[in-house]
Amino acid sequence: MRKIRENVAVPILAILAGMVVASVFILMTKTSPLAAYSKLFQAAFSCESFSRCNLFVTLQLATPMILTGLSAVVAFRSGMFSLGQMGQLLLGGMVAAWLGYVIHLPPIIHPLVAMVAAMAVGAAFGWLPGILRVKLGVNELVCTIVLNNIAALYVRYLINFPLRADQSTTAHSPLIDATARLAVFAPASKWGTGFIIAILAVIFVHYFMSGSRRGYEQRMAGEAPLFARFGGIYSDQAAVRGMMISGALAGLAGALLTLGVYYRMLDGFEGGVGFDGVTAAILGAVNPIGTAIVAIFFAGVRQGAQVGLQFAFKIPRELGGCIIALMILFVAADKLFKDRLDDLGRWWARVRRRKAVTEEGA
Amino acid sequence: MDQLLALFSSELVRSGIRLGTPIILAALGGALCNRAGVLNLALEGKMLLGAFVGILGAYYLHNTYLGVLAAGASGALVGLIFAWVYLKYNVNLIILAIAVNLFIAEMTVFFMRTFLGDVGTWSDPSIKQLPDVAIPIIGDIPGLGAMLSSYNWIVYSSWIASALAFIVLFYTKFGRHIRAVGEAKPAAETVGISVARVQVFVLVIAGVLCGMAGAFLSVGHLTLFTRGMSNGRGWIAVTAALFGFNHPIGVFFTGMFFGFADAFAIRLQTTTDIPPSLVQFIPYILTLVALILVGARAVFFEYLARRRFRQRAEREIAAQGSASAD
Repeated sequence: MRKIRENVAVPILAILAGMVVASVFILMTKTSPLAAYSKLFQAAFSCESFSRCNLFVTLQLATPMILTGLSAVVAFRSGMFSLGQMGQLLLGGMVAAWLGYVIHLPPIIHPLVAMVAAMAVGAAFGWLPGILRVKLGVNELVCTIVLNNIAALYVRYLINFPLRADQSTTAHSPLIDATARLAVFAPASKWGTGFIIAILAVIFVHYFMSGSRRGYEQRMAGEAPLFARFGGIYSDQAAVRGMMISGALAGLAGALLTLGVYYRMLDGFEGGVGFDGVTAAILGAVNPIGTAIVAIFFAGVRQGAQVGLQFAFKIPRELGGCIIALMILFVAADKLFKDRLDDLGRWWARVRRRKAVTEEGA
Repeated sequence: MDQLLALFSSELVRSGIRLGTPIILAALGGALCNRAGVLNLALEGKMLLGAFVGILGAYYLHNTYLGVLAAGASGALVGLIFAWVYLKYNVNLIILAIAVNLFIAEMTVFFMRTFLGDVGTWSDPSIKQLPDVAIPIIGDIPGLGAMLSSYNWIVYSSWIASALAFIVLFYTKFGRHIRAVGEAKPAAETVGISVARVQVFVLVIAGVLCGMAGAFLSVGHLTLFTRGMSNGRGWIAVTAALFGFNHPIGVFFTGMFFGFADAFAIRLQTTTDIPPSLVQFIPYILTLVALILVGARAVFFEYLARRRFRQRAEREIAAQGSASAD
């Protein structure tokens, strides 16, 4: 009970505190924070009609973020602080885009092949920092950040030179075949099959982490490596396996972006989804379901900041990122809220006791 | 061959030193923090903030040196907040750093768009670049003088800061305290060292150094600010600190090394037709190799220590065996 209270109440308090502090920035632009926030959430989660629906765009934006968030959850739970989601996503997306036009396969099979390949590449790119950590003690955090830069430069090279489609101003690879594209649910957004896949991934990670023997090994390797070792779990192997699953999930996120949204690889394709996934995992208490909910919320904040604040109030859309950063800051300082919650709990207990005493007296 | 020789010139050395400066400054800060047992991954954010505050300070205070001071102060402030939140609320340092980096990256663009016009790059003709200063005696040495003199003060202060950090860390009582806190926090506490004071100090100093590194980017090297100007240099500094084994002199040379690699990449780009992104790989590949080497070194020393221990144990057992046989 106490755990649920902390895991739900702390993020909600952090979200509120982040929004309150961010109001200072909104006031600087001479806008009322209340008006700005109502516009933000209206722009993020409203739905005028089936063909003009902001919510669908938010869900489309959330799709890769859920997967990068899950990727962070699996890595963190296995005791690996991996921030390599961005690189894995880029390489996964690149492979999916490449397979999308190089080979020709019937529908359904084509995207499946591309997704599996993207997951394999992502897993390989997660394996490297994992094995370096386990064998040589290389700090996985720094290592994944360096690998992110390498992947970003490599993909930029590929789409600028060998795989460049035409001499247009922004570099991009050729369009993928129609057979490789994922189905879209509603017009005017790219919300489609990818979202279903992301939800399936949430269910998979949830049962894997808390319902399976392997998942138990992962968590033990992360929480108590020595205990795991004494219990006969190869915590090193579990850590590397966690990194590979984490990489595969991020690679899948990239594949969903190419197969479901852009239909090609282009510059600026990642758009901060990797780091947003990590922040979603942190705010979501490193829990698959919590992370998915927070990812949808963050996608809404980003989307609302862009179409709501920037178009309507001329407030720069970067405010969305500021709000997210503040929320992370407050959720990291969870002791602040936990102390307050404990105070509140004690106060409530005292009130109840006093009430009981007076009732007895009466 | 001529082409290859043309790559190496005093201009290459000069640009190598210039590009190495921000990395050295930030990496020194990172190394000090590592020595005191606080992992500081917010170097990138503090550097970006320094670049932003540095150019704004130079613009509003009409003096570039005051701009640099303001940048250092802003870094110190972030370091202070970082230390306060860490020590008071026991926040996970990595999550804190992620939040700080994200916040600064988005906030600088927010302010740029709100107050400086809706642009990706901001500059003003009234801002003067930090002037180059010649060193009296060294500058007159033929050949070498052209390479080692006539930089601005931030470049020199990166050299001075490295030497100073070395002296403070290894030859003063306070430096011993810093190292003690990093190596054995409970032991340091027991002998009465204030862990909090040491950690606050290193975080603030790291902030000042990162702020100066950022100011070097915006007013020392160019006179403009672009969004995301630090561009991963803070992360390279984190690795440079590790690669230099958190030793100020080691950090100085690794920082220089990354600077030269960068200068070399730019040089290759202008003199040959190798695609730029392939050349930009060089520092990152080097970083990865550096990380692997640092790890391999630690594993190798551990192996040596284990072997030495085993051999000694075997010798002792053998000696005991022969003694009991007598």
